[in-house]
Amino acid sequence: MTNLIGFKTLVWQEIQRFLRVWIQALISPWINSLLYILVFGVIVGSRIDTIAGVSYIDFVLPGIVMMNLITASYMQAAFSLYFKRFARHIEEILTAPFSYFEVLGAFVVAGVLRGLIVGLGVYVIALFFTSASIAHLFLFIVYSIAVALIFSFVGLLVGLWADNFEQLSVLQTFVIMPLTFLGGVFNSVHMLPEKAQMIAKLNPFFYFVDGLRYSMIGIREANVWVGSTLIVALIFGFGGLAWYLFYKGWRLRS
Amino acid sequence: MNALEINNFTKKYDDFTAVDNISLSVQQGEFFGFLGKNGAGKTSTISAITGIGTITSGEITVFGIDVEKEYKEARKKVGLCPQEFNVDTFAKVKDILLHVGGYFGLSKKERQTRLQDVLEIFELEEHKNKQFRHLSGGLKRRLMLARAMMHDPDLLILDEPTAGVDVELRHELWAYLKQINKAGKTIIFTSHYLDEVEELCERIAIIDKGKIIADAPKSNFTKDGGTLEAKYLELTKA
Repeated sequence: MTNLIGFKTLVWQEIQRFLRVWIQALISPWINSLLYILVFGVIVGSRIDTIAGVSYIDFVLPGIVMMNLITASYMQAAFSLYFKRFARHIEEILTAPFSYFEVLGAFVVAGVLRGLIVGLGVYVIALFFTSASIAHLFLFIVYSIAVALIFSFVGLLVGLWADNFEQLSVLQTFVIMPLTFLGGVFNSVHMLPEKAQMIAKLNPFFYFVDGLRYSMIGIREANVWVGSTLIVALIFGFGGLAWYLFYKGWRLRS
Repeated sequence: MNALEINNFTKKYDDFTAVDNISLSVQQGEFFGFLGKNGAGKTSTISAITGIGTITSGEITVFGIDVEKEYKEARKKVGLCPQEFNVDTFAKVKDILLHVGGYFGLSKKERQTRLQDVLEIFELEEHKNKQFRHLSGGLKRRLMLARAMMHDPDLLILDEPTAGVDVELRHELWAYLKQINKAGKTIIFTSHYLDEVEELCERIAIIDKGKIIADAPKSNFTKDGGTLEAKYLELTKA
């Protein structure tokens, strides 16, 4: 039988945990976003011509939202699981009547929620500077949740694998940040030389940003089927691996 | 029905065998002492019963429920007070207890009622809004025990619950444990203080190098007029 009360409690416990560090979890990414919007969108953007028919601030905004959503989802899942392993209070969960699927689900829901809260906050901040339109609300929600799911799973995999706090930042520093910046947050792929365009299209973050951008301003540079297939494949790939490792108790049960 | 039944349980960590094919049973309502040196295999056994550790081979049942095949049902029956403080040290006392109540499926109302009960029993009421890290050693121990009791388990496993606790609290805990045992709770108790094992437990098993080397009523260990400590040292000396 499903432990629904347990599931909800674990999600709520996770929310309480990140609200306890609300400055780090929420205010910090919002201030960073405000700076990005001010510097790149307003100050630099006012000197840049339109891109694909929209102002520069409207062009970069989806990327800024996506960048923060990715980071928040990843950090929630990775830090929470690692900290629970490190301080051993994962044992509270291991000794409780949870299925592995319920535990995994609760961590992922918390990761997605934090990603969405941070992303929504960035969007609200942007409303002070631009119209921040949403052309396709349904797609906006779907892309946001889908990418938050992917990075919650990735965060859990890193949270399982890591042996110290430093390792939690490795993926963030060496993979997530560079690939997000190179994924077309601040530029159109058409601004790149032809060979660089080919390389950019191998970057999965390009499809995440492009999807959200399409949902917000209706402009698309990537193939929708490639992007959708990639996102679904990553959800099932990372999700399946995380579920398998939870099921086996890898680095959870001694 | 036995509260705990362990059949041919083995636990290996790579090539190291921590527990070597042990069998053990604890009757319902018994106060059972589980003794052994550090690294003898006590915690590995407890981990396997509670779900913290895996079982390499063998079978463990709690009130007839297999801890691996029907782990959800089995876990509802067991409360663990671990040797080390395994809590979110930044969480408040009441939140720690309420969360665990929720993990075990207690409704919001049941959790609140149970919270008041355990806060009162363990005299934690005035500390309920303090973070765990701000509690004294004795209060932390009390909270560990309160957490284990939050879902009112039938089998309580206490892994060195009095380590680092002052004499007064030890005696208070003994009185409480005797009381709940009398009320029907089965208790498995490990400790390095053999005086309290002698005081509390009806039956004692000793594990050494992963094997059970003694399993008998307490009186058997002291029948020649010696103390439990003397007999324990004699048995584990070799």
